[in-house]
Amino acid sequence: MSTRILLVEDDERIRSSLRLALEDEGYDVDEAGTGEAALARFTEQPADVVLIDLMLPGMDGFECCRQLRRVSTVPVIMVTARTDTHDVVAGLEAGADDYVTKPFVTKELAARIRALLRRARAADVPSVLTFGDVEVHPDQGTVRRAGAEVHCTRTEFRLLCELASNPGKVLSREQLLDRVWGYDYFGDGRLVDVHIRRLRTKIEPDPANPRHILTVRGMGYKLVA
Amino acid sequence: MTFGLGALVLSASMAALTYLTVRQILLSQHETAIVRQAVANATLANTSLLTPGTDMDGLLASLDTSGSSSVIERAGQWYSTPPSAGRNAIPPAVQRLVLADQPVTQVFVNLSGGPQLVVGIPMRAADGAYFEVASLDDLAHTLGVLALALSGAALVTTILGIVVGRWASGRAVRPLARVSLAAETIAGGALDTRLPATDDADLAPLAASFNRMADALQERIEREVRFASDVSHELRSPLTTLSASLAVLETHAEQLPARSRQALELLGAELRRFERMVDDLLEISRVDTGSADLSPEEVEVGELVRQAAATGGARGVPVEVSPAVADAHLRVDKRRIDRVLANLVANAAQYAGGATKLSAEPGPPGTVRLAVWDRGPGVAPDERELIFERFYRGRAARHRAATDGTGLGLSLVAEHVRLHGGRVWVEPAPEGGNRFVVELPRVGSPGGDGA
Repeated sequence: MSTRILLVEDDERIRSSLRLALEDEGYDVDEAGTGEAALARFTEQPADVVLIDLMLPGMDGFECCRQLRRVSTVPVIMVTARTDTHDVVAGLEAGADDYVTKPFVTKELAARIRALLRRARAADVPSVLTFGDVEVHPDQGTVRRAGAEVHCTRTEFRLLCELASNPGKVLSREQLLDRVWGYDYFGDGRLVDVHIRRLRTKIEPDPANPRHILTVRGMGYKLVA
Repeated sequence: MTFGLGALVLSASMAALTYLTVRQILLSQHETAIVRQAVANATLANTSLLTPGTDMDGLLASLDTSGSSSVIERAGQWYSTPPSAGRNAIPPAVQRLVLADQPVTQVFVNLSGGPQLVVGIPMRAADGAYFEVASLDDLAHTLGVLALALSGAALVTTILGIVVGRWASGRAVRPLARVSLAAETIAGGALDTRLPATDDADLAPLAASFNRMADALQERIEREVRFASDVSHELRSPLTTLSASLAVLETHAEQLPARSRQALELLGAELRRFERMVDDLLEISRVDTGSADLSPEEVEVGELVRQAAATGGARGVPVEVSPAVADAHLRVDKRRIDRVLANLVANAAQYAGGATKLSAEPGPPGTVRLAVWDRGPGVAPDERELIFERFYRGRAARHRAATDGTGLGLSLVAEHVRLHGGRVWVEPAPEGGNRFVVELPRVGSPGGDGA
């Protein structure tokens, strides 16, 4: 069964050409021209990956992403024409896992999608990782905090696993980008920064003063139990 | 400062003038009094001595001396009161003059260093001379106190002068300094800097027109920035379609006849170049309009160079990090510096057959030098600065032939390096080829907790 991509883009020609290119890469592609249409389609037929262009008529890309996040932890890649920090960070804060800038090389996009969909690494990870009142179950893909389940996107989950399986060890942004996003060349550190922020809001008692996921200035991040 | 100097000169001359005048007055007053007294005594002595058999001691005792010494010479004999004074109390020159029938009034310093006034009056009738010697110690003391007081006053006046001067010029200069500072802040990129409303009648119109100018400037610049980013979006959409469609064609290229395949290759190469040009142009326009925002972070030099070598075009290129800078840190916008190194590597690939080495070494104190080496044809000395200009491609005809360059790579390098307060240049490498060197300021000592 091939992977299904939901492509949310208002420009018809971009939609058509992308569909062709992504189908060549072996994906099934659903199209939506507006944010509203995208949410409707997703409800009918959930996709495995959602590509959202930021510039949409009516509901913008950020809002579409936010609403999607309320019902699903499906991997989301933002498509943006700008690399302005504001747009990128806003998109990531809205819940996206990664972003690509137009125009992009389709093969690169395909590689990122594959990286996002990769299953978490297997064998050498213990069946449960704990710190504070948080329990991470790598094989089940779940996170519990004080007994209650915490909903995380796949990327957030993988990031958490990576940190939790290396307690006390500092992991640099580059290392995290490689292990979690699968970049074999250095990617964008902001991906890591925003996802760390998102994780903190989910599992820290006081996100502004983190006790578990700590920033190590000039070096990266580390998790302490 | 001029104020202070003026105050100093004025008060010093006033003090000096006052002192000299008072001194003169006091001295002449004192002198007059003593002379009058001496004349009176001399007249009395002269008359008394006409009577034969006068008792000298009695005579001397009867004179009104009030603090002075009286000395009488008669027929070669010297008598005085007090007796210790005597002839030695009178300077020899004065003695000679008076004995030669010449009256003298003179100020001198006696053996023990005290100032004295001597009045010498010849007594013709009695064939002698009368001297009176008065001490000027008291006067000297008074003058001394006066001098001190006046000096003190002069000093205080000078200091006050300096203080007042500073304050006055400060008041005049400060508003202008504020305007100049505001202008610089705007030039530095803070477009919304304005001068606050002021009551100062001289400054108000200046501030008002400055603010109007700043408003116009800000609007113009923001419009340009918006234009630049609107263009960005507009160009990127058709490019996305072109890029995706091209990818599809390339995937099915083997189904195409040979000529079509060839055309497709050309299409692909130029399209990719076009995309890079759009990127570069937008980046340059952002730098131009000053809307390039730097997000500086601390990075380790060694890491930076190694990562640059790990990417695309520089993969496999050896990296040489000098131990002197191995743990040095730079405070830079990482993505821009990565771009700088990537552009230099691409440039080497374009024109010099590829980069042969990436290195980091110390520069002049407080700086680090990152270098990209190649073995290509050297850059002629007169072109070494030109190559960093926009769209400059080099004289050699072959450079203009099949090239993937956008003509902006090196000028972007120059701009980014400039934004970081560094320098970039090209020089011949010792073993042949070129070295493109980026010099950046380093930060003090490495940070972070050793993990």
